[in-house]
Amino acid sequence: MHSSSTSQGDNGLGRWLIYGVLALMALVYLLPLFVMLVTSFKTGTDIRTGSLISLPQEWVTDSWQAAWGTACTGVTCDGIKGYFWNSIKMVVPAVLISTFIGAFNGYVISKWRFKGSDLFFSLMLFGCFLPFQLVLLPMAAMLGKLGLANTTTGLVLVHVIYGVAFTTLFFRNYYINVPDELVKAAKLDGAGFFTIFWAILLPISKPIIMVTIIWQFTSIWNDFLFGVVYSGADSQPITVALNNLVNTSTGVKAYNVDMAAAIIAALPTLLVYFVAGKYFVRGLTAGSVKG
Amino acid sequence: MAKLDLIDIRKTYPKSDLETLKGINISIEPGEFLILVGPSGCGKSTLMNTIAGLEDISSGEIRINDVDVSGLAPKDRDIAMVFQSYALYPNMTVRENMAFGLKIRKTPTTEIDAEIKRVSELLQIDHLLDRKPSQLSGGQQQRVAMGRALARRPKLYLFDEPLSNLDAKLRVEMRTEVKKLHQRLGTTIVYVTHDQIEAMTLADRIAVMKAGEVQQLGSPYEIYNHPTNMFVAGFMGSPSMNFVPITVLENSDGHACTELTGSDGKAQLLALPDKLKTYVGKKLMLGLRPEHISQQLSHHSETDLISAARFNIEILEPTGPETIAQITINDHAVHCRLAPDLSITAGQDLDLMIDVSKASFFDPDSERNILL
Ligand SMILES: Nc1ncnc2c1ncn2[C@@H]1O[C@H](COP(=O)(O)OP(=O)(O)OP(=O)(O)O)[C@@H](O)[C@H]1O
Ligand SMILES: [Mg+2]
Repeated sequence: MHSSSTSQGDNGLGRWLIYGVLALMALVYLLPLFVMLVTSFKTGTDIRTGSLISLPQEWVTDSWQAAWGTACTGVTCDGIKGYFWNSIKMVVPAVLISTFIGAFNGYVISKWRFKGSDLFFSLMLFGCFLPFQLVLLPMAAMLGKLGLANTTTGLVLVHVIYGVAFTTLFFRNYYINVPDELVKAAKLDGAGFFTIFWAILLPISKPIIMVTIIWQFTSIWNDFLFGVVYSGADSQPITVALNNLVNTSTGVKAYNVDMAAAIIAALPTLLVYFVAGKYFVRGLTAGSVKG
Repeated sequence: MAKLDLIDIRKTYPKSDLETLKGINISIEPGEFLILVGPSGCGKSTLMNTIAGLEDISSGEIRINDVDVSGLAPKDRDIAMVFQSYALYPNMTVRENMAFGLKIRKTPTTEIDAEIKRVSELLQIDHLLDRKPSQLSGGQQQRVAMGRALARRPKLYLFDEPLSNLDAKLRVEMRTEVKKLHQRLGTTIVYVTHDQIEAMTLADRIAVMKAGEVQQLGSPYEIYNHPTNMFVAGFMGSPSMNFVPITVLENSDGHACTELTGSDGKAQLLALPDKLKTYVGKKLMLGLRPEHISQQLSHHSETDLISAARFNIEILEPTGPETIAQITINDHAVHCRLAPDLSITAGQDLDLMIDVSKASFFDPDSERNILL
């Protein structure tokens, strides 16, 4: 039986079944977040006496303040706020630069085929599959030679290099669907290499720019390995600080502070998704630009 | 207005082992409207792209007003092109689309405004200037694409199937529009189309291409009535020319003739032009256009080259203004054009008139027109 010919009852039952399963899945997915949230607002005693999913007896924000400003992360006890800004200082330039380079690469690979451009693209693509571990040592050596070891700049560089493989892929796949005639028309209008990029292609790239920014922001913000390896004491990103905070055991484990810190660490990626998320699906599916 | 000379243009795409253009020679006079036709993949777009400078040529010369431009970048050739997909810049308004090329060429703003006013009034798109391409209908986008080409007043216009994305009615309208535009502006235009009527009505001359070669270059009249080979003959015209294998004979009066055998197996004599007497005993391909076979026409008495013959009508396809009928001659299906008000039914026999004076004759091996 097909959708149009199915009776109302059948349709309704199937629909409810689907909604039921979806709701259940959503619940399973949201449960950890729920536990984190309620725990972060509980007092220490509350945690020890109540159950994992019970609501706080008394809602307190102490652990949030502690996580932000006073919790101990290793030797220092200034909370995670400094590291939060470290992450921002690293993520913003890394995302912008890698997105821009990706756009430019994608433009060249898709619209200005040169001898070996396909090979170039294949190698780029290969970069997406390189495991982090593989580049750790060579990259450390290179950063050392450049004098960028343990600096935010060094970390930005690492993320840009690693991210360019992905951003290039995104933009190339987007631009390959932009009709070549658009570029031809611009050439005949007298536009050069850069003008075509700035005036024609970039303005129609909003969906894919959004996709790339979300992707890059999320992966760079959440990165731990590069952060822990290449950062110095004063340039550590928040993921490293979070790890230190959780692993610093002085007396009783402060789960509420851990949870608050974890949520703080996750907030920016959530924010980016809420602001730009609608473009994500749109950008990934709508490749071509209709004239 | 510019003169364009294509001299032995050859083009092989990189990574392709086939030559796409195999020596194209065409001279286009100032103000001429040249139409390129040919089957899909024969290299029409490639030729247009090489003229525009969007593709390099492997050898040959492209001259605009006697200056070799084959080494120049597209922007330095002063050519405008209208694409099948229109290729309007999606992020720009109609006005910005038309102004883009002028701005890049550093035209003063007042001049740009005046030019856009002129062109948009000419094409009746002045009320659309502030819209984005996505807010336009297909026909409007088409006009804007032409407007963008006109705005720069280039030396040469290239149109690559500009009307093929429009519906049938709009296409006819725009065809007239293009014709008017050309008559008014007298610009040199090279125009690719798949549409035979477009080719016949618009062109000063038509170049019929096949597999990277020009098969024939001539006026629409020449192409239609004196095709140089069977390919051209079969390509232009719809329904296309009928090809009937014949053997040239000599009748008792010493005139050339041939036998046509219908589906009933009976042979009827058909007078042939006396020019064919040298071919007596040889096999030829007789090329007859559907309109050369009609019902008996009272004002058309039988002359030397108009013969009467009776055939069985197998299929009737009324199109409105005429009826296409299918008969069999010498085991080949043949279409003829009959008057629409003829009261006949399929399966009937009908007296037909065959006008051989306008027929073409081809060598069956070389496929060349032997009378040219
Ligand atoms: N960039 C390219 N690289 C390699 N081969 C190409 C390229 N562009 C076109 N070709 C080939 O050259 C031949 C001619 O193509 P072209 O686009 O000029 O044909 P066309 O006559 O315009 O056809 P259509 O009527 O379908 O538009 C085709 O066989 C095509 O496959
Ligand atoms: Mg083409």
